[in-house]
Amino acid sequence: MDDDLRLARAASEAALATEGVHALGTGRYAEAATYGPGEKVVGVVVNPNEVRVHIIARYPPPEPLPALAERIRERVAQRAQGRATTVVVEDVEVSPVANL
Amino acid sequence: MRIFNKIVVVLLLAGLTALGVCLLVYALNIDPYRLEDLPRVLGLGVFYESLRGYIGVVENGNLDVLEIATLVLIAFVGLILLLLEFKPPTPRRVRMQRGTYITRSVVEKEANAAVEQEHEVLQSNVKVKAQRKPGAKVDITASVRPGEDARSVQSGVKNRVQDYMSETGIPVSNLKVQVREADPRQTETRVK
Repeated sequence: MDDDLRLARAASEAALATEGVHALGTGRYAEAATYGPGEKVVGVVVNPNEVRVHIIARYPPPEPLPALAERIRERVAQRAQGRATTVVVEDVEVSPVANL
Repeated sequence: MRIFNKIVVVLLLAGLTALGVCLLVYALNIDPYRLEDLPRVLGLGVFYESLRGYIGVVENGNLDVLEIATLVLIAFVGLILLLLEFKPPTPRRVRMQRGTYITRSVVEKEANAAVEQEHEVLQSNVKVKAQRKPGAKVDITASVRPGEDARSVQSGVKNRVQDYMSETGIPVSNLKVQVREADPRQTETRVK
């Protein structure tokens, strides 16, 4: 359980540190989060076989969304301890600095 | 298909529960509920007799055309439902590459944004379906004023959506655009 939380935190930090990520998503029908005693990491779901990261991309994205998602996936996969890594682009948010 | 299955299972479970409750009440043998009366109350005797009679007719080959057609239809519907059951469910999210997905709502939002850039379009309706292969299936219905050149609007919308989506990198494998005339007083936008 602690390992899952640690992994979720690491994945969250890795995803948020990627340029083009506005925030982590919360899921649509069910909350996308990893739960631990007294704590939860929203936006990352850690299963025994998979680490799934939900992101909200910044608009305009610095690169095409598939490339951005792939970059996040690679970064998170380095911390995923061999589990399959999935990235879900949940939304696109206009950046406040974007002059649109 | 899942909803159909759920309805069937709910009805089946409801029937079994009702039957179970009946059986429980009759098993206690409290007047006037006696277990030996249960088949008569449920009409099982009549049902068995009817079924036996019908099976006898089928075995003797004494069916009329309508009955044969009904049985064939039932078998055909059963076969279709069986095949649908084997079909894997449509994914919820649009696959971009291996391990990367995008939600249908994002594709819908972006497609809508692209369509709304066309001056002739007063209102648009975008439907997105995820597929097992990469890329989304996008169906767009664009409303225009009566008298607009539907063909040029259709190709304009299609080109714009394709350009916009390729800019953002959202994979669209199947794009359909329909243009329909609408009264501007009833659309979201009257003038652009």
